Amino acid sequence: MDLLKSIAVAASGLRSQAGRMRVIAENLANADSTPERAGAEPYRRKIVTFQGKLDRELDAQVVELGRVERDRSAFRSKHDPGHPAADATGQVRMPNVNSLIESMDMREAQRSYEANLNVISSTRRMLQRTIDILRV
Amino acid sequence: MTTSSFAAGAYASMQGIGASGLLKKPAGIAGAGGAAAGMPDFSSLVGKALESTAQTARAADVQAANVAAGRSDIVDVVTAVAESEAAIETLVAVRDRVIAAYEEIMRMPV
Repeated sequence: MDLLKSIAVAASGLRSQAGRMRVIAENLANADSTPERAGAEPYRRKIVTFQGKLDRELDAQVVELGRVERDRSAFRSKHDPGHPAADATGQVRMPNVNSLIESMDMREAQRSYEANLNVISSTRRMLQRTIDILRV
Repeated sequence: MTTSSFAAGAYASMQGIGASGLLKKPAGIAGAGGAAAGMPDFSSLVGKALESTAQTARAADVQAANVAAGRSDIVDVVTAVAESEAAIETLVAVRDRVIAAYEEIMRMPV
């Protein structure tokens, strides 16, 4: 039934937005993860990708979390000569995580999740109203 | 049209059950709206509906148990429960209509 299918499709959206939220949480939590020693790389920001996929059982296009890629932009650096990972000039390489960008991504994930939740509740209401026709 | 064949089938089945085989199903009704026309009669209709409803309810139970055990996603429970809820409500609504139609027939002055 199409209404049940749309609930399943919206559920796939919920699942992938939850995965996106997990990656954002990893990025934010690791925003200050420094390398162990000088010259090593600090935490590199992760980027989620989404992929449309035809679910043959549902006969509908659902969304899935694709590969989690790494952000290839430059690392931040901080002057902290006492740090164990500081190089000869006293610079410490910091992760390329920008908490503002992560906040915006988080807001976007939240809005997307809510949109999918709205699809589910609207669909359920439609189902309910249809069944209500049978009741006098 | 469906309701009337439901009602006819229900009437025939109830008669069969009530008289426990003493009275046969009315041949005309069974032929017109029953198995001969490829339509399910009332007992098999209820049986099938109950079976599929029980199946969705079982799926919802399995998902709930999985979440409790930390193996599954809460989203899976929500979808499974929504599916079984829709199935159960449909079954209940159809049952109520069928019973109402049956009572209507039984009130008919013969």
